[in-house]
Amino acid sequence: MHRNSPVKLQVDDIHKRYGANEVLKGVSLTAHAGDVISIIGSSGSGKSTLLRCINLLERPQQGRILVAGEELALRPGPGGALEAADHRQLQRLRTRLAMVFQHFNLWAHMTVLHNITEVPVHVLGLPRDEAVERARKYLRLVGLEGREDTYPNHMSGGQQQRVAIARALAVEPEVMLFDEPTSALDPELVGEVLRVMQVLAQEGRTMLVVTHEMGFAREVSNHVIFLHQGLIEEQGDPRAIMANPRSERLARFLSGNLK
Amino acid sequence: MNWSVIFEPDTLALYGQGLVVTLQLTLYSLGLGAVLALACALALVSPRAWLRWPAQTFTYFMRGTPLLIQVYLIYYGVAQLEWVQARWDAVWPWTQFKEPFFCTLLSFSLNTAAYTAETLAGSIRETHKGEVEAARAMGMGHGMLMRRIVLPSAIRRMLPAYGNEVVMMLHSSSLASTVPALLDLTGAASRVYADFFLPFEAYLFAAAIYLCITFALIGASKLLERRFLGYLAPRKH
Repeated sequence: MHRNSPVKLQVDDIHKRYGANEVLKGVSLTAHAGDVISIIGSSGSGKSTLLRCINLLERPQQGRILVAGEELALRPGPGGALEAADHRQLQRLRTRLAMVFQHFNLWAHMTVLHNITEVPVHVLGLPRDEAVERARKYLRLVGLEGREDTYPNHMSGGQQQRVAIARALAVEPEVMLFDEPTSALDPELVGEVLRVMQVLAQEGRTMLVVTHEMGFAREVSNHVIFLHQGLIEEQGDPRAIMANPRSERLARFLSGNLK
Repeated sequence: MNWSVIFEPDTLALYGQGLVVTLQLTLYSLGLGAVLALACALALVSPRAWLRWPAQTFTYFMRGTPLLIQVYLIYYGVAQLEWVQARWDAVWPWTQFKEPFFCTLLSFSLNTAAYTAETLAGSIRETHKGEVEAARAMGMGHGMLMRRIVLPSAIRRMLPAYGNEVVMMLHSSSLASTVPALLDLTGAASRVYADFFLPFEAYLFAAAIYLCITFALIGASKLLERRFLGYLAPRKH
């Protein structure tokens, strides 16, 4: 990890319960600028929930979240879960954390260009021509220049996910959150998305990636977190822990995943 | 058949007069109804029960009773109340209830508002959850989320159903002919029938005019769908 660079994201002791079922039992992590952290684990281990707690799409029962040093003000809400004390702060911090979803979640009634300029123009207040320029820059980066006027439904899954990555980049976030970005893709389309993510990693962007792609975790990320039943079972340098897992569970998980 | 009477200038003028009233009733009630429908649909999907209940009661009543009864309730009912008549010389909005056109327009507007509101509310509920989530994750507040994502998407998706509603409203406007002192296209046909005792000619001619307008409306609705729902169409290349 880049321990000498500034801290972009700090998450402390996140607990999340659905009824009696405790999905996260106290998870903490820190991302320094340029870190690419892969979060792995079997389904039900709480990895997606953890990511969704960070931007409060899910409301944790307990925990602290700091984005670039600014703590998200939380207070107990109805039902015992925490809620944002100040909605404006939550909305502002959410624009500093951009999320890429498993099912892309592009806005179907908007063209590719409008999908990418929507948040910069209407949430961040950027002038339209500046937002368009930004959109073209990131479309070029994800290899989709010239597709500005296409509608998402007229593209392949891999192309849609690359548009979603461009949309996330366009807010120039502190940290990018990837929630299983390749899990909904046909196998032959996974590569084009992973290659874009590799470029982003090489550019020094701070990324949190929930993934099943062990190759990506090993080759691209500089830190791996293995979640098991709502707790961090093991974490560390990807090559080291994936070659020599200390915990029995990680060893079993890897042998089930590595082909 | 005796069509020569129909094509006499006086008869044609009568039809023309009726056509204008029919078009005015249809367009005005759709316009007014659309505004009411938007407010009502937002209330229908609101998490707040005190907003939802009145809207549900309203659409339940308007969709659960015949339009003709609603026209009568407003024209013969509300407009004949002593309380209303005591005010209809001076106090707005009660002054309007003197006008048969207004009473009919009001009942039509409330009726189409109820149907349109339920269609729009259904369309809003069917909005892709992921699209809403993406907007929230990107820092949009509730108002902007509705304005920029949910409503533009929901209104587009309801276009085909709304096209039907427009045609239904045109046809339902023939109920205006039951209001005395109001002469719409059907009313004009009835007048011609009464004057010349030519039932087939009188009503067939009116039917032909309704048919032409319906055709134009369906064409316009198809054009709008192609323009605004293109993103859902299969890829052409």
